[in-house]
Amino acid sequence: MHINRKFWNRKFWLAAAMTMGAGLAAPVFAAEPIKIGIAVGLSGPNSVVAPSVVQAAELAVAEINAAGGVLGRLLELEVADDASGAAGAQKAFDSLLFQKKVDSIITMETSAARNAALPIVTRGKKPYIYTSFYEGRSCNKYMYVNAWVPEQQVASVVDFFAKNLKTKSYFLIGSDYAFGRGMLEFTRKYIEQNGGKVAGEEYLPMDGSDWTPIISKLKASGADALITSTAGGAPNVTLTKQLRAAGVKLPFGNLGVDEGTAKSMGSDAEGVYLAASYFTNIDTPRNKLFLADMQKKFGADLKTPNDLSVPEYDAVWAYKLAVEKAGSMDTDKILTALGQVTVDGPRGMIKMDSQRHAALNMYLGQVQADGGVKILEAFKAVSPGAQCPNLM
Amino acid sequence: MTLLLDILTTSIILYGVAAGLLIIFGVMKIINFAHGALLTVGGYAALLVTTWGLNPWWALPCAFLSGALCGMVIERLVMRPLYSRPLDAILATWGLGIVIGQCITLVVGRGVQFVNSPVTGAVNIFGTSYSEYRLLLVPVVLGVVAALAWLLNGTRLGLLTRAVIMNEELARSLGINSALVRFATFSAGAGLAGLAGALITPLSSVDPNMGVPWLVSAFMLVMVSGVSLFSLGVACLVLGGAQVIVSTWGNSILGGLTIVVLAAIVLRLRPEGFSRV
Repeated sequence: MHINRKFWNRKFWLAAAMTMGAGLAAPVFAAEPIKIGIAVGLSGPNSVVAPSVVQAAELAVAEINAAGGVLGRLLELEVADDASGAAGAQKAFDSLLFQKKVDSIITMETSAARNAALPIVTRGKKPYIYTSFYEGRSCNKYMYVNAWVPEQQVASVVDFFAKNLKTKSYFLIGSDYAFGRGMLEFTRKYIEQNGGKVAGEEYLPMDGSDWTPIISKLKASGADALITSTAGGAPNVTLTKQLRAAGVKLPFGNLGVDEGTAKSMGSDAEGVYLAASYFTNIDTPRNKLFLADMQKKFGADLKTPNDLSVPEYDAVWAYKLAVEKAGSMDTDKILTALGQVTVDGPRGMIKMDSQRHAALNMYLGQVQADGGVKILEAFKAVSPGAQCPNLM
Repeated sequence: MTLLLDILTTSIILYGVAAGLLIIFGVMKIINFAHGALLTVGGYAALLVTTWGLNPWWALPCAFLSGALCGMVIERLVMRPLYSRPLDAILATWGLGIVIGQCITLVVGRGVQFVNSPVTGAVNIFGTSYSEYRLLLVPVVLGVVAALAWLLNGTRLGLLTRAVIMNEELARSLGINSALVRFATFSAGAGLAGLAGALITPLSSVDPNMGVPWLVSAFMLVMVSGVSLFSLGVACLVLGGAQVIVSTWGNSILGGLTIVVLAAIVLRLRPEGFSRV
């Protein structure tokens, strides 16, 4: 066997030359894509709605990339599972910000997940747009919110009841967690400030399914109307079914139900009032265009757009406009720009310039016998009030 | 009046849910922690009946059969090898509960679904309007329990079961096939769990975790009531009634704690619980 003693021989230089030549002749690679992280509940309670959120983001990214991307770079999504809770959110945000090194996080999550993630966002120093409606007053240097807070939603329901249905006393029922209690605390204050009376306020743990004593209290209280803020999914269903089985026919405003759940509740949900910043039958050309584009992109796999997924679409567009306005990927410049850009989305023109939150068009709807939601009244540009007075 | 009806109907629902757990505990001396998952299986069986458009009352036998089938498979594959290791058997049922829940999620998805109620709306009874379905549950559950009691006290298999409950070693030495008794009991207990699941779904929703909250209450009630169906009934009435009273006069958060706290107090004061009442 011939052992080649000399390593730096002809064969080596020939190989080296070929490699260098190939490297020089290779096409120039495109610039690095801009990565947007989405930490969403692929498992856990939010897994029912998470696919629609991801689809909304995918449509926005496809539209932006088709038009040339952002500052000449394409957008790319990185999706991580936050298991709809605090522990999962910590893992998801850690992996997105420090391993995948995303440039921003735009997502919808539970309040528990959001509160656990904020310290990580502060360490990661990247913009974070929170796209879920929530109980309000969450403030962080790096966060913007483009979904509604109680000041925007509760007012719509209570004002409509008081003005159109002439109700004076209200019974409040909620699930025992941050959103349930936060919403009803605000509701109580709003009702009392506007001359109404709260006849009772009752809570059940989130996994509780027996509302019987609470319903008995409701019937004994003599209230004119019922307003509920239960967790999404099972609590909404169990409460509504038991209310109907017990023969309760009061005007019923549900602050925590979404259009999809209401539709699938069948005849039990008929007559329920709900308020949101998005319904699929909002009659504007922009919304109709959005729905057509979603249908074209996803076809039979389309998950119905809803009040938790459409803000995600708006937020990805807001990020694109903000980065272009800032002219660079500098976080502070992008944060300033996020409060200055306006997105023309299915929910209307949205600008996050009210202390990191946005004035929104709110709609009050009522579930009809066929399961559809009829929009009864539209409130233009409802202010979120003072959410983060210490932030601009 | 509403309070009394609330107490009665809540107790009867707890009775139906706990009965299956009780007979398994009596015969095999283990707590079947997959009980919650079997409730869920029954709930989904009821959902199938609704989806197929059949009369909702068919949900009851369908749910019982589904639960019993699951029980048979579980008993053969998981419980039999663990006869001599009761603590390991309990742990195995806990794991099984998780597995069944996740399997349901894989097949059906996590979404919340609805079952049609056989009867809807409220009726006027004793001067108040009350949910008709809840009232109907009283005779239905009592009927099921009566059938179970008849099986235990009036049939040969029931005689063998009671012998095994009293003393398994002695029963086996007398030639009683305790393996068959265990098999039949576990399947029946699982079937009852399925049936209870179908009974509660018209009042609540169907989702992969619907059985879990009931597991703790059922567990406490069985612990407190010894082995007799009658003492289980008394325990359900007393503890269930306390839960309703606390929820009505206090708040429902405390109400959720009542059964657990009271069960602990009862066991501390009177270790044999409600048995031999």
